[in-house]
Amino acid sequence: MDIGVIIAGILTLAIYTFLYKDNPIYRAAESLLIGLAMGYVLVIYWQTAFMDRIFSPLLNESDWWVLIPLILGLLMFSRFSRKYSWLSRIPIALMIGAGAGVAIPAMLYARTLKQISASVMPLITESGGFNFEALVVIVGLLSTLTYFYFSREHKGIIGKVAKLGTYFLMLFFGATFGYTVMSRMSTFIGRIDFLLSDFLHIIK
Amino acid sequence: MSKDKIRWIIFAGLFLFVTLAYTIDIKMVSSPSYEVQKSFDYIESLPEGTILMVSFDHEASSLPEVQPISLVMIRHAFRNNLRIVGLSLFAEGTAIGYRTLNKIAAEYDKIYGVDYVFLGFKPQHIAAILGMGESIYDVFPHDYLGNLTDTIPIMIGIENYDNIEMVISITDGDRAVQWIEYAGPRYDQKVMTGLTAAMITSYDPYLSSGQLFSVVGGLKGAAEYENLYGVPGKGNRGMPAQTAAHLYLIVMIIIGNIIYFRNRKRQGRSS
Repeated sequence: MDIGVIIAGILTLAIYTFLYKDNPIYRAAESLLIGLAMGYVLVIYWQTAFMDRIFSPLLNESDWWVLIPLILGLLMFSRFSRKYSWLSRIPIALMIGAGAGVAIPAMLYARTLKQISASVMPLITESGGFNFEALVVIVGLLSTLTYFYFSREHKGIIGKVAKLGTYFLMLFFGATFGYTVMSRMSTFIGRIDFLLSDFLHIIK
Repeated sequence: MSKDKIRWIIFAGLFLFVTLAYTIDIKMVSSPSYEVQKSFDYIESLPEGTILMVSFDHEASSLPEVQPISLVMIRHAFRNNLRIVGLSLFAEGTAIGYRTLNKIAAEYDKIYGVDYVFLGFKPQHIAAILGMGESIYDVFPHDYLGNLTDTIPIMIGIENYDNIEMVISITDGDRAVQWIEYAGPRYDQKVMTGLTAAMITSYDPYLSSGQLFSVVGGLKGAAEYENLYGVPGKGNRGMPAQTAAHLYLIVMIIIGNIIYFRNRKRQGRSS
């Protein structure tokens, strides 16, 4: 059997010992997982960010422009000095400025304008029929928004509409919870598959 | 009985139930959802040689759920002689993406560099997505193996999204959202996603607003796609165990509620 499969099988069982109670075997496996994941990500970032984007252009192609992002990146470490920590504001300001400039128009379009236009659907279809889905969407949207409207006390008609909004919220949370359970079960089934087929060879 | 003992019994029951269901060969019939059918039909309709970009945007921990999706979709693409440009915008997805593509390519005798390529990982995913809209060669000057991208046969003439039919983001988080938000409106790039079930409701607004082409969600989505593809895989294999786990949890929820209300009634009487 492949040594990697044996190690993975033992570590899987070690992680599941947590179901009994917290123990040193579980903690060792957990630390190994975190350490390996961090090490892997660090190596990937070192290669793709530092080597490919900074050192290689600088040393092989004499591209001096890469010194600018390199210096800006190094300025971030000035946070460790009380005297020079103000220098870190320069790259942070640049990052926030550029990030906001790129993100705001994209998010405004995708998360606000497109969502508004998708929410406003005609109640009567082209064929003359009644669009029940549109009614559900508009009632759900307005009642949920009313629930989050805190400038007036939730009494009377506002209270009733807000109450209806909570039912829509509960439907959403229920669906999300159901999908999350499904997701976690899939991960568990994946491990069972590995243990029974690759590790123990009980099933093919 | 102590709370710990009750917990152990519940976990042991779940373990036995799922293991038993997994070892028994039960064929479950499930009709494909609208989204899975739409994804399958679209891939099926593409002419040979069409370029798909498959982005492995997930961690290793979600492999049991997302790998059946990526396997069946890539198999489908290769069977229809579509070409694949693979990449990763999530560091952990890099090796997974490369291995997955190579594994399936070997099944269909596809040649690296001609039928598929893996460009590797790029940090700063938003910059990478926007950058590829201008020039893929600038964002990925080299592929994962260090070859110059603009000299790889499959990549010749594939300069930006104009030459990419569809981006398929295999994700366990919100990385596909960035594909939708940055590659969609600005470069008019179609985006499809294969994702974990836990993320499905987060993507519903993008689906209903037409910004996301389609979704293949969770192990169930993979099983439905496998049925359409005609070759059962890990998705189908997991369905009986998935169903058993859900039934078990439903029973546990009912029992838990009965105990809760009974205790509340008793407390009410005693007070």
